[in-house]
Amino acid sequence: MTRRVAIVGIAQTRLETEKPDQILDEVIFEAASKALADAGIGREEVDSITIAAADQIDGRPISSMLEACPAGAYLKDEIKTTEEGSYAAILASLRIMSGVFDSALVVSWSKCSEVPVTRVSNYGAEPFFHRPFGLNYITTTGFMVNAYRAKYGLPEMAAAKVVVKNRGNALNNPLACYQTPVSTEEVLSSRIVAWPVRAMDMAPLCDGACALVLASEERARGMVQPPVWIQGMGWATETYYLGERDLSRLTSLEVAARRAYAMAGVTNPLRELDVAEIHDIADYHELMAYEALGLCPWGQAARLMEEGVTEMGGRLPVNPSGGALSGSPFFATGLVRLAEAALQVRGDAGRRQVKGAKRALAHGSYGFCGQGNSVFILGE
Amino acid sequence: MAEELVFIPGRWDITYNYAAGKVSSKFFAELRDNKRLMGIKCSRCGRVMMPPRGFCERCFAPAGEWVEVGPEGTIQAFTITVEKFEGNPDPPFAVAYVQLDGADTAMLNYVRGLDFSDLNRAAESLRVGTRVRVVYKEQRAGEVTDFEYELV
Ligand SMILES: [Zn+2]
Repeated sequence: MTRRVAIVGIAQTRLETEKPDQILDEVIFEAASKALADAGIGREEVDSITIAAADQIDGRPISSMLEACPAGAYLKDEIKTTEEGSYAAILASLRIMSGVFDSALVVSWSKCSEVPVTRVSNYGAEPFFHRPFGLNYITTTGFMVNAYRAKYGLPEMAAAKVVVKNRGNALNNPLACYQTPVSTEEVLSSRIVAWPVRAMDMAPLCDGACALVLASEERARGMVQPPVWIQGMGWATETYYLGERDLSRLTSLEVAARRAYAMAGVTNPLRELDVAEIHDIADYHELMAYEALGLCPWGQAARLMEEGVTEMGGRLPVNPSGGALSGSPFFATGLVRLAEAALQVRGDAGRRQVKGAKRALAHGSYGFCGQGNSVFILGE
Repeated sequence: MAEELVFIPGRWDITYNYAAGKVSSKFFAELRDNKRLMGIKCSRCGRVMMPPRGFCERCFAPAGEWVEVGPEGTIQAFTITVEKFEGNPDPPFAVAYVQLDGADTAMLNYVRGLDFSDLNRAAESLRVGTRVRVVYKEQRAGEVTDFEYELV
């Protein structure tokens, strides 16, 4: 039996369209120091630092050279993941489970206001067969939605309702970037960016950082916050080559969820989970995630949405925080999902709290068309 | 009085020289010199991969023989990019993943000759399952954009 890992400190900066009053280092410091304060410990009491960031967004190669110490690593252990924020939490958990470390500070960030992220994303296209075709995380969403549409029809109204739901939820989240409601009419009349994907289907980018403090079971005892246990974790990656994939489904998310559910002993997620934070890169991603997570049969996500199951007050509220659709600090967005899920289990989610939430799911995603996905199951 | 906040512009300017390797180089040479599209077969599962690669990720086995594919195929996924993104061609433009006849995976390229004046109509003409054919450019440089697709 491996060692159990708990989340004992949670912090985010306010998500904002830009943070010109802080250099990136200061944004990172703000999140990391707030997480330590939330855990009630000092930097000297943490024995491992795990970070997740994208060099091209930070604007310098091996950005950890500069950003490790703002994240708390001065003369300490430090290691970096380059998939996405939630992967830092995976790695930090594994390092605690190994017995080598007893605690971890996990930090991820992005200042999207400083760089055209679609250009960064375009450079993610390999140079021989993909670079010349204008690919980025938005245009590739077009492929995915068209593949889904060919199989099940275009869930345009359900997708718009995802945006309305999440932006409505964000009214209860003082940290969200966009705290204004929108209507389905606004979503459905926003301009098309990559057919049939509209501007408002995509999560708007913003600046922000997120940090968690993790601890082993022994270390978690006696700490100021009640521990939120990581009951299950799963992650998987698909092939990079979109022409080899079934783009109508998020296969690696299905695999990741299966692993996380097995570890946590979840057999019926819709019944056994109380709340979920899903990485809604686009509203369509959230719908397709419903299917991959086993919340409904393949092709039935629109119906699940229409039935209100994932609304606040529904059987399984999804993204009470407002999700990425209410502001996405691109690389840190998966870690924000995990932080929000942890707040729910701890009962500290303020006005966005799902009453009596005991078990939460958090989802992180990276790559074109959701190439890689992570799933966490958290519990009391 | 508002405080002044300073911004410093920056830019990465790095030149790369990506080696295409033997497999891709052969593909590009066949495309440029013989107007042929060559896929490659996995030595274990036998699926024909387009674009060709030296190995099959699924079987984790080396690729084997070359197989000519096309010249027609079926759209598996597509999008029409309408927004101008830095570094992209001027919109609108259509790209599609096409499974060429004889291949088991789909290959990305531009779809030319479309009328974008009615976007929904242009998208309808690219519906998944639509047949397209390969068109070779007059001037070929040995790169993926030496060919494109057009509706059959
Ligand atoms: Zn194979």
